[in-house]
Amino acid sequence: MPGLAPGDSAGGGPDSVNGTLVPYSSDSHVSAIYPLRHGLNPPISRVSVSWGRGNSLRVSVFRQPDSDPKSDGEVGGKVVEVTLGKSRDGEISDAQWRKIAYGSVSPFALLQSRKNSTASLSRMQLSPSPYHLEWWEYVMEYSKDIGSLLGDPKTALATLIEDPNEVFPKKVEEPSSLKAAWELMEMFYVDKLSQAWLPERLVDWLADYNSLISIDLPTVHSKLVEFQNQIVTLQVIEDDPRYWDLISSALAVGWLEIVVKLLRLHGSYRLDQLGRRETENGLVEAVAVLISKMPRMRPAIDAGKIGECFKAKPDFVKAWERWRAQITKLDSSAFWIQCDHRQTREGLKNMLQIMLGNVDVLCSSTCHWMELYISHFLYIRPFTAGLESMYSLAQKCFRLKHTSNPHKLMRLMIGILGENNEVVLAECSRGFGTWMVAHAIELLTAGSNEADILVHEEREDLGGISLEELHRLVYAQLLSSHLLTWQIAPIYLTSCMRQGMGLLEILLLKQPVQENQMLLKNLEICRLYELDGISSHLMEISGMYHWKHGRKGCAVFWLQQAHDEVRLSGIASQLFDSVGKSISGESFKQWEGLIELLGSEGQLAGGLDFLHKYRDFKKCLQHAESRKDADAARQAVESLMSLMRNASTPQRFWLPILYDAVKLLSWDEGPLINVGQTNLLLNKLQELSVARLRPDFVEAELPTQALNHVRYSLATNLGRAILGEL
Amino acid sequence: MAVIGIPQTQIHRLSQSKYVDSIRWLPSVSPLQQSAIVAFFDTDADSPSLEVHSLDQESKTLDLISSWVPPSRISSLKCTQAFAVASTISGSLHVFSATEAQDPSSAFRSVVAADGKGFHVGRIAGVDLMDGGSNECVSVGEDGRVNLVRVLDGSYRKVFDGNGLVSYTAVKWASPTEFVTGGCGFGLQWWDLRRPGSAVAQFKGNLEKGRTSGIIHSIDVHPSRKHTCLAGGSAGTVFAWDLRYQHQPIILSGTSNDTAAQPLSESEVWEVQYDSYTKSSMNNFSSSKLLPAMFCSEDGILGVIDQGEEPTELLAEPCAINSFDIDRQNPSEVICSLEWESIAIVSRP
Repeated sequence: MPGLAPGDSAGGGPDSVNGTLVPYSSDSHVSAIYPLRHGLNPPISRVSVSWGRGNSLRVSVFRQPDSDPKSDGEVGGKVVEVTLGKSRDGEISDAQWRKIAYGSVSPFALLQSRKNSTASLSRMQLSPSPYHLEWWEYVMEYSKDIGSLLGDPKTALATLIEDPNEVFPKKVEEPSSLKAAWELMEMFYVDKLSQAWLPERLVDWLADYNSLISIDLPTVHSKLVEFQNQIVTLQVIEDDPRYWDLISSALAVGWLEIVVKLLRLHGSYRLDQLGRRETENGLVEAVAVLISKMPRMRPAIDAGKIGECFKAKPDFVKAWERWRAQITKLDSSAFWIQCDHRQTREGLKNMLQIMLGNVDVLCSSTCHWMELYISHFLYIRPFTAGLESMYSLAQKCFRLKHTSNPHKLMRLMIGILGENNEVVLAECSRGFGTWMVAHAIELLTAGSNEADILVHEEREDLGGISLEELHRLVYAQLLSSHLLTWQIAPIYLTSCMRQGMGLLEILLLKQPVQENQMLLKNLEICRLYELDGISSHLMEISGMYHWKHGRKGCAVFWLQQAHDEVRLSGIASQLFDSVGKSISGESFKQWEGLIELLGSEGQLAGGLDFLHKYRDFKKCLQHAESRKDADAARQAVESLMSLMRNASTPQRFWLPILYDAVKLLSWDEGPLINVGQTNLLLNKLQELSVARLRPDFVEAELPTQALNHVRYSLATNLGRAILGEL
Repeated sequence: MAVIGIPQTQIHRLSQSKYVDSIRWLPSVSPLQQSAIVAFFDTDADSPSLEVHSLDQESKTLDLISSWVPPSRISSLKCTQAFAVASTISGSLHVFSATEAQDPSSAFRSVVAADGKGFHVGRIAGVDLMDGGSNECVSVGEDGRVNLVRVLDGSYRKVFDGNGLVSYTAVKWASPTEFVTGGCGFGLQWWDLRRPGSAVAQFKGNLEKGRTSGIIHSIDVHPSRKHTCLAGGSAGTVFAWDLRYQHQPIILSGTSNDTAAQPLSESEVWEVQYDSYTKSSMNNFSSSKLLPAMFCSEDGILGVIDQGEEPTELLAEPCAINSFDIDRQNPSEVICSLEWESIAIVSRP
């Protein structure tokens, strides 16, 4: 999606900068080539291009109409779809995106319904029952449900690998920045319980996602991974300056268990050297123990991680001061002089400086500003609270370790710390896509009235809709562009008060109805949202589609379902054309199914119910003829009369019916048709003779003498009937 | 709360990242192996595939054994002891050997195939093959044709050509010479190959006055009661049609049915099968009572209906369940294909 360049957004308006509303970057003009595999033999005479679903083009390729009879096996044309552009985000594949989309439907729908019931409760001015959860707790539940869809790197981190050389635990699943962003939003906006120990939450967050925060520059994580690959080749690990460098870095960002593990790789622990390097080993171990005793202000700590947890601030302060005092004591200990190994001595001293919160050492031990930021929380300002002070600290760290091209996660972070909701929304949308922004709005508004007003305010420049609705509509558009996800879009559309239903109707009408299964899925959505009008319209479209493709039965069925009398009558005359030709004895079996479908009298059939009666008449006639059964014959007469009386019987069938009736007229056992009935038939015959003079009359395929034959039979019958009634 | 000691129904959902058109159990070649044949459609690559997967009993994961690329998407899939048969939306039919399909060393390919203009025009809506039957596969289509394909050589013969005046949507063998078809307007047709030319009995589908009509999606006939067929279709309808009482269908489930309990589903019933696992509630085995039946629906329900009882719900998904199959050797196991590109395996206690 083209966006306004950041530079000229302030000026705005079409006349700013170079006069274009949406500036194009020149590199977007590179043409892309999409090969078409239509498999047709040349010559191709015509190509037509139209938009298909989403970002795909539908290309119809036609061959020259072939006059050569030899090549009649070949198709005359083909329609192929070309998908423009590829997956939206390299990090997450299309299939994964769909999985996330499917999975987020239920939590989203649940939260919306809870929102509605809470709103109706407050409208009725009822105080929510004391058993009800706070609103943020519902949002928290929603956030956890959604978060679990985005992958769970934590489970993998918790298991420390036993291999002593394996310092850094491998993650089974690569963390995704989408998940990282989601957790950030949850941490800052929803989780009220973690507000008191937000700095420690950030420490954990960085431990999980450190690998993501920088693309080109090194991070502590990337340095660790690199070092781990070389660890096996190192003979004396403590001689390597990188070893000490890494230990300090890991300590600075608070990965204590890794630091302790690395320290225990120190050569002085080896049995053959323990005797000679006793003091050195003592110092290493003392530092390791100090590290593992570090007080943390948090309720609990994950298994495998170290530190002593304190929930209450006074307890923590006491422990913190005691711990600091121990470090200072160790720092000024006399043992350092006895330590011969220079690197060990300097390395350990450096670590003590980190723990004492020496800004310069922290700054040189960390790579990224976020790492420096975290180290401030750990060693300098463990009591930082409130977004304002967190923001000013972040700005300070940002100045010290400036990066020109901040990662999208860092931009989001700055937006959150700066308490700028508009920036947060914009960064969500820019960096993480429409799914993120449509779902993260719930987090943003969970505890903040300001954000609530921002996203729910109806905006003139958006045509009267709110930001929330806008983002949901955009997401629904994205969903509807895919064959498999369009069925989810209604959930989001119906949560949009202003334009949702309108767009839903358009969406439903645009779905292909060629296949019955797809149509039925579509109709089911219509049923759920009570869109009866759309539903009949879809059935009409489908009916006409089947009709055009020769599936007359299906067509009649759908048009009947749609109660579309007009179209049914329209196709009736075409159907009668083929009936006129084929309806005779044996071939009637083909019609049987269709006639059954049309149902009996009283059901909507648009004149097609004639077929039903005609079939009944034919059946009776056959019976009467084959068995010489007078009862069947009388029944046949009844059907004959009802056919001739009924206005829906097409005129073109009058003569064939009367011609069939000759057998009844010349019934051996006396006249079956009385005077009145005969007169009616004669009248019909007269009407027919007049109608034949009209140019649009369709002649039935009957022997040329048929008319005279009928007239003669009727006259004879009239005579017999008059005699019989005397 | 789960009571310890009483085994619970276990449900495993396996995400596939491809649309599952249809799914069937394959007959086991060994007691330790359980495999399924799955018709996939990959929307990213726009390509269909027919795959055989073995199911790991412990972890309930699927491992691909073999795969075959059909000419177009699979519209219907059935399995017997010896064969698997698949039809496509472009009107071709393919038969596979059920044992070869589960053997990774042999190439998975169709033993015989039938297609061409004389066979079906467009989508084949239903196929069926019978165990111990005539080794002929019956196929029906929206074009109104009914064909029989010999599985031995792939030759086919036409039973009926409706010329598009009727459309068939489902088919099921009742005996080696009889089968039932279903179509629009809840219509059912009973065919007997000994009396060719047309259906020998028709059910008109006016289940009740004022009900909306619909389409039959699936038919089942129990081998022990060949005169009754079970049909499922639109509007949550599941009913049985007994040839001996042709004008009195027994409605098991459906909307606007006052006598029965609240229906589990009011949307399309995509598949019905007799469920041999659920024991009928009546001890004295009355022949007039219908056997329990399982169905799956567009609104995500997999349920069991037992005549005269409250229906039971095995699975309630937020998305449609498009097809399911009960393992015949191990009827507690049910495999389902879900709309959201996944497969669910239900293991009943």
